[in-house]
Amino acid sequence: MPRLDRLPQISRNNLLTFPAQVNDTAPFVRPGKPLAACRLAIVTTAGLHVRGDRPFTPGDQTYRVIPSDTPTRGIIQSHTSIGFDRVPTMRDVNISFPIDRLRELVARGELGGLGPSCYSFMGAQREVRRIETETGPEVARRLRAEGVDVALITPT
Amino acid sequence: MLARALEHEGISTTSISLVREHTEKVKPPRALWVPFPFGHALGRPDDPELQHCVLRATLDLLNEPVGPVLRDFPESAEPGDQPPAPPQASGIKPAEQVPDDVAMETMQMRRYHERWLEKSGGRTLLGLTGIPATRFRGVVRFLEGFADGQDVEMPERPPEVPLPNFIRYCADDLKALYFEGHLAMKPAAGGEEIARWFWGETGAGRLLRRVRDRLDASDDPRWKAAAFGIAR
Repeated sequence: MPRLDRLPQISRNNLLTFPAQVNDTAPFVRPGKPLAACRLAIVTTAGLHVRGDRPFTPGDQTYRVIPSDTPTRGIIQSHTSIGFDRVPTMRDVNISFPIDRLRELVARGELGGLGPSCYSFMGAQREVRRIETETGPEVARRLRAEGVDVALITPT
Repeated sequence: MLARALEHEGISTTSISLVREHTEKVKPPRALWVPFPFGHALGRPDDPELQHCVLRATLDLLNEPVGPVLRDFPESAEPGDQPPAPPQASGIKPAEQVPDDVAMETMQMRRYHERWLEKSGGRTLLGLTGIPATRFRGVVRFLEGFADGQDVEMPERPPEVPLPNFIRYCADDLKALYFEGHLAMKPAAGGEEIARWFWGETGAGRLLRRVRDRLDASDDPRWKAAAFGIAR
């Protein structure tokens, strides 16, 4: 995002008062193999989901599964905050869910493969306790069971 | 925060960050800060080359020996043709004359939207209510009744979806119809231009301002939240 001082005041205030978590350190798991041998899945906070799946509501800490072979026309977005421009997503969902780009990397042999599922959460969450302790770890366990080594995390 | 939960279970993560100030606090294991506006995480739509560049820089962080690591994507990559965030309805003065018959206007937009579907191969963000565009006349009537203060209901509202949430889905679907329809009319239009047209010149924009006003006048925080999500 451009620097905060370039945003309209209402957006800037929203961001400055946003209760972002403060951490001193981070867990750091190094992938045990090169990318060309890794299986990757997208985990997005863009509130995307398969058309017909239950839309997210604001403050919703659950997640949706997007099978990795879903065509882009089958993906919609219920994170509809008017703080961001939805036109790029209308034009090209790869703007926050780069599934076509990843397929290209797999085809070129630069990425080992895609996991069978991608996962999606709602963004702009002020209360994240349940994601931290319940739904986030649940997605991690599912990714592990699906043989995924690396998660690419994308925002809206 | 999500990245941390995944790493705790043994999955390596790498993230794209839009708000550097937040990422500095949360400290995900690996993050690439990008200088793009909200809604543009990978740079530009329909620009595979730039998207691959961003993706490559994000995936390269997996080679870092220690973390957390927060790297900046070159600021010169910022697309200069888009504002950092779309303009809000309150900053757009409605035209003196906008169409009164929103249902009719919506039916006209549907024709453009059909063109959009042909061009996009069926891709559309319309679909949160599950009501097809062919029945949007009913959605408009519902929103008009609500804005007029009536006690309205739609049979399509699932019982588990509260009324203000359903109204927001209706508003979002209506916006998708108009915005994508506008893209069919003027393919080069950006988000700012379309927002100015929608809030300034369409009957639907005026209707959603009125829907917002009724939601915002409520004491119920869920109604106020829906108002904030529709127009501000």
